[in-house]
Amino acid sequence: MNKILTIVFIAVIAVSLIVAAIAFFTEPETLEPIEREVLIEGTAPPIVDLTVLEAPDQAGAERPGIFPDPEEAWVKLPEGDNLAAGKSVSSGEFTEVYDPANVTDGDLTSYWESKGLPAVLTIDLEGTYTIQTVGVRLNPAPIWEARTQGFTVQVSTDGENFTVVAPDARHEFNPDSGNIVRIDFDPISARFVKFIFTEKSSGRSNGAQASEIEVYE
Amino acid sequence: MEWNKNLSVPVICLGAAAVLCASFAVFMFAADKAPRSKTAPEREVIEIPVYEYQAEGPPSKLTLYEGPKTMTSSKTASIFANGNELFVYDVMVNHEHIWNANTIPSDTPMTYFDFEGKVTVEIEMPGLGKAVESAAVLPSSHGIVPEVKDGRVTFSVTEPGFYTVIYNNHVNKATHIFANPIETDIPDKNDPNVFFIEPGHWAIDAIALKSDQTLYISGGAVVNSVVIVDNAVNVTIRGRGIIDGSDFPGHNQPGSYARVPIDIRNSKNITAEGFIIANANCWNFNSYATENAHISNVKIISARQNGDGFTFQSCKNHTVTDSFARTWDDSLVLKNYSGSTKDITFERIQIWTDLAQSMEIGYETNKGLTIKPEISDVLFKDITVLYNFHKPVISIHNSDDAFIHDITYRNIIVENAFMQGDNGVNKELIEFHMNKSGWTAVRDEWGSIRDILIDGLTVLNTEDGAIPESRFLGHNENHGIENVTIRNVTILGEKITDLTALRANVNEFVHNIVVE
Repeated sequence: MNKILTIVFIAVIAVSLIVAAIAFFTEPETLEPIEREVLIEGTAPPIVDLTVLEAPDQAGAERPGIFPDPEEAWVKLPEGDNLAAGKSVSSGEFTEVYDPANVTDGDLTSYWESKGLPAVLTIDLEGTYTIQTVGVRLNPAPIWEARTQGFTVQVSTDGENFTVVAPDARHEFNPDSGNIVRIDFDPISARFVKFIFTEKSSGRSNGAQASEIEVYE
Repeated sequence: MEWNKNLSVPVICLGAAAVLCASFAVFMFAADKAPRSKTAPEREVIEIPVYEYQAEGPPSKLTLYEGPKTMTSSKTASIFANGNELFVYDVMVNHEHIWNANTIPSDTPMTYFDFEGKVTVEIEMPGLGKAVESAAVLPSSHGIVPEVKDGRVTFSVTEPGFYTVIYNNHVNKATHIFANPIETDIPDKNDPNVFFIEPGHWAIDAIALKSDQTLYISGGAVVNSVVIVDNAVNVTIRGRGIIDGSDFPGHNQPGSYARVPIDIRNSKNITAEGFIIANANCWNFNSYATENAHISNVKIISARQNGDGFTFQSCKNHTVTDSFARTWDDSLVLKNYSGSTKDITFERIQIWTDLAQSMEIGYETNKGLTIKPEISDVLFKDITVLYNFHKPVISIHNSDDAFIHDITYRNIIVENAFMQGDNGVNKELIEFHMNKSGWTAVRDEWGSIRDILIDGLTVLNTEDGAIPESRFLGHNENHGIENVTIRNVTILGEKITDLTALRANVNEFVHNIVVE
């Protein structure tokens, strides 16, 4: 009897010590926090759901990206000097106040309009240059709707003997591309640049029209 | 008991030890305070603050907008909303109360935010030029009495609206605070029909909107441009930002021309909401020959020539609600340029008119030379005129041959009727007049004015403390003014019940005019 009880008691002691040891070395649990309402008396700071819309870094006013610059779609002309700027211009009869000087005045809102077709307009560059590009422009405002005009480009160094650099052809003017027609040709020495307009598609005018004509080396 | 005899003392002791060890094991296993190799963390106690004001209403929401980094906040005013400093714009205003083609505007502080709940506004005025000794928040109907302490003005607002603060009982540097409601349903910036302008400083020559398009000008945006809607339907213009005309010289200056910030023509179904128009070089919100326009929470401050506020010509079915117009020309104005005007409502509008009239019908009532033009079914309701400095508050000038009828003015409050007129004339409170003028297009024909109701007109202050005059002048027996009812009028606390008390000048071509 003593022997059995001795074994039992020793076993109980051993198990108890093991359990106590395991409990001692076990990681303590993190207990759930206790929530407790606290009444704050007096004037309470307001609870504000605050939103602040921040401004971007900018050095100056910018064009909103959602409105692409329409000039990006324009026909590009050379970056050099426009040799025709401010130079003298002659033409045949023109309509009302729309005289030929308007094509070299740098103002796209003014324009030349011939009294009929065909119409000849000549720019005197007032010096001889080696040129290779001309640009014929109308007002780019959408109200100047798309149209075609047919014309020839000729050049001369003496104002009497002209060489055709661009034969008669129908050219498209479209405000979406800036109402610009660019004509390139082989470099050639010239003082006078002559345009002979032969046709037009728009019914809004009686003759040929040009707001600016530009000439480049 | 026989087994006791057989137990030895060591076994009994061993048994006792076993019991103690088992008890210790239970203690170690179950007790929170039992020793451990690692210390248990303290149990966290979360305190939930319960503020007193929560019983009064929900928490506040507040949306603030940084100003563009290209601009600096006003040096005149520092304004805080719940302790957060706001960006303050200096906008053009004009204290010259007579026409001057070369007038030079001054400026005044303006700011805005969106909120719901309650917001405390604090203002300091280092640029006032003198100490702030007193302040008032207009309109007085808000009943807000600001605290002024050490030069700082403090008050709280609980409703979206337009709050104008004046200092030392003077309008210099009067501060306009536009407290908008929180924006909802902001358009999707990825929608191809939405032009979404983000916060920042932007410039573009003009923004032309086509049918079914939306222009959204975010709070914090300043857009140097004009918005054109021509021959379009279902167009929306909204947002909290500013359409700014300060880049453009006055329209009458050499080389300049009119750049109307909102210019709607020949269109239908227009919605405008939430934005500010400032520094325009001419008219502000224009609608011409357009049907179905609904305008709300639009704020206008103008200072330059022909700076009319909401100006509609030959339009039908327009409503303007919960809006603000401080202008250097007529604030609300209806004309006929191409056909008739019908079904126009202005409701819950605040007006400050530095020049011309507050609510004007005319002078041009048939500029388009159309057959049988009319202006009819017009309602001005719940209009508060903070200041009217120049010409009549309520006016109908039939300068052409239109038939003007069924015009109603209901609950009009004029806080400061300070009409100085033009060298002693044109300083009436109410003026209905059949008269040719510099704007007349139809020289030989005349129209008439009929069926006009003013129900509720209160004037709180006049500059000289006297009741201002009014006048009602027809042209002849066939082209006069008929059926005018004026009731519930109180001027300087005095109930007005007859034409004499109204100081009305009525000629023989006015019939059935009643003050009751």
